[in-house]
Amino acid sequence: MKRRPEMSLLVLGRIGLGALRRATFWWSVGLGGVVAATIAFWPAFKGASGISEAIGNLPAPIVEAFGLKDFGSPAGFLRGNLYELFVPLLYCLAGITLVNGQTAGDETSGRLELILAQPVARRAVYLARMLACVVALGAIVLVTLVVQLGMDAVVGLSIDTSLLTATVVLCGLLGLLHASLAYAIACLRPRTSFVLGIAVAAMFAGYVVNALFQLSTPLKPWRGISPWNWALAGEPLERASEPWRFAVLIALSAGLIVLGTLVVRRRDVAAA
Amino acid sequence: MQTDEVAVLEIEGLVKHYGRVEAVRGIDLSVRRGEVFGFLGPNGAGKSTTIRCLLGLLTPTAGRISAFGLDAAQFGVALRRRIAYVPGELRLPERISGRDFVAMVGALRGGFDRRRRDLLAERLRLDLARPVRELSTGNRRKLALLVAFLSDAELLVLDEPTSGLDPLMQREFLALLREARDRGATVFLSSHLLSEVQRAADRVAMLRAGRIIAAGTVEDLRRQARQRLEVWFTEGAPQADLSLVPGLAEQRVEGRRFTATLIGPVQPLLDVLARHAVASLLIQEPDLEEAFLDLYEAAA
Repeated sequence: MKRRPEMSLLVLGRIGLGALRRATFWWSVGLGGVVAATIAFWPAFKGASGISEAIGNLPAPIVEAFGLKDFGSPAGFLRGNLYELFVPLLYCLAGITLVNGQTAGDETSGRLELILAQPVARRAVYLARMLACVVALGAIVLVTLVVQLGMDAVVGLSIDTSLLTATVVLCGLLGLLHASLAYAIACLRPRTSFVLGIAVAAMFAGYVVNALFQLSTPLKPWRGISPWNWALAGEPLERASEPWRFAVLIALSAGLIVLGTLVVRRRDVAAA
Repeated sequence: MQTDEVAVLEIEGLVKHYGRVEAVRGIDLSVRRGEVFGFLGPNGAGKSTTIRCLLGLLTPTAGRISAFGLDAAQFGVALRRRIAYVPGELRLPERISGRDFVAMVGALRGGFDRRRRDLLAERLRLDLARPVRELSTGNRRKLALLVAFLSDAELLVLDEPTSGLDPLMQREFLALLREARDRGATVFLSSHLLSEVQRAADRVAMLRAGRIIAAGTVEDLRRQARQRLEVWFTEGAPQADLSLVPGLAEQRVEGRRFTATLIGPVQPLLDVLARHAVASLLIQEPDLEEAFLDLYEAAA
């Protein structure tokens, strides 16, 4: 019985999602917990002039590099505690590890062997797994946003919902970009340590370029090469983000996914 | 079901290198429709590499593989639709149940008959409700076999299929194999277990270091092996006459008793024996294992 390619993609995607259920749950619980625990401290920081004064005594580039500006305001509190580093970092790690496990991990362990021996194209198997990871990452982002909004209401943290949503989405897209990078690497060379090493190195390099290059006058203009800069330099918690920030992250992610899907057929499948 | 001359699987000049390692160094073979073809060799001989090339998991360095007239490199999906595969290194998803695993593969193959699934599970004494991670090595192997036999594929590619199975289940496996052949399926049975191939295969190819060192029916290969013989003469053994018999080796004479090994036709020996008074004659039929070892030693 012949099966249309899109049907295979659907079946394979469902299989991928099934395998990701547990990891998605725990990442959601972890990230939701981090967000909830952090927001719970907002009442202690709210309008605390002492902290703002202490931070005000630090050099301006340091304050900006570590996202400590206006720490006593809702936007400053969220930026400094969550959205300058932790949440995007955890989204990136979630994306990278989910994709790594579904592609390079399953391939090198031999768990893909029987799937790839079925009447399905290798490209469809990999693409479906990547798309399942996109859905899983989307679910993790959604849970974070829901927890954030819920906790905001509980502790009385007042911030524009659309700005908050845009910030969470931009962080999620940063995670997607790194997940897509991990996918492209896994499609090229399915070694889990290789995939993890390169993707995590790219993530940290991006953060360092965005956060620390501003401390050096000659390096400062180069901040623009960092995906972290594309996602977060527009102060998304304080003003509406430009559409290109979303577009560039989505376009690059899509490009990496297409590239990976094209090259995966050109190499041998790793043996267990 | 009789085999016919139509080739289901053809491998021509297959070469596969992994960097400097030459895993397969020029394999040519043809598997006929309806036969059980034994692919025999020790670990590392190139059996699994050949199979993975057939399934499109590896790209051959040189050569061509086709099945059902379809080029494996070009028509991978169409070809795999007609092939069921049990890998030698079996790794299954751990967190799902056996039933879910069958459903998963079934979804990719257009669905499986549930009644047949349950019947097969019963024959293999396999509890499909248990999570895969709780299954023993043997039970995981049964699960992979169940899926392969359930698929009704025209070509079954089985790599070390009985590894981890107890003798009862090995017998059941052979019964399933016969049933598959009876419904017209072709079986490509890769194994390092001579006894398994000897019992199941119509024809055999023996592999060593990426090359086929012998191919033919089990009987052909047996005939190529040394036969051990023991002759008791009523008087002293006619050593001079016996030394002229072609193919006789390891000759020993102990009074009236003569022992040797024989490779090749037995008729010249019988002609010599007919001229002397023989009290008893014992010629041990060689099994595939001896043929295998002889061929291996010769190839080395």
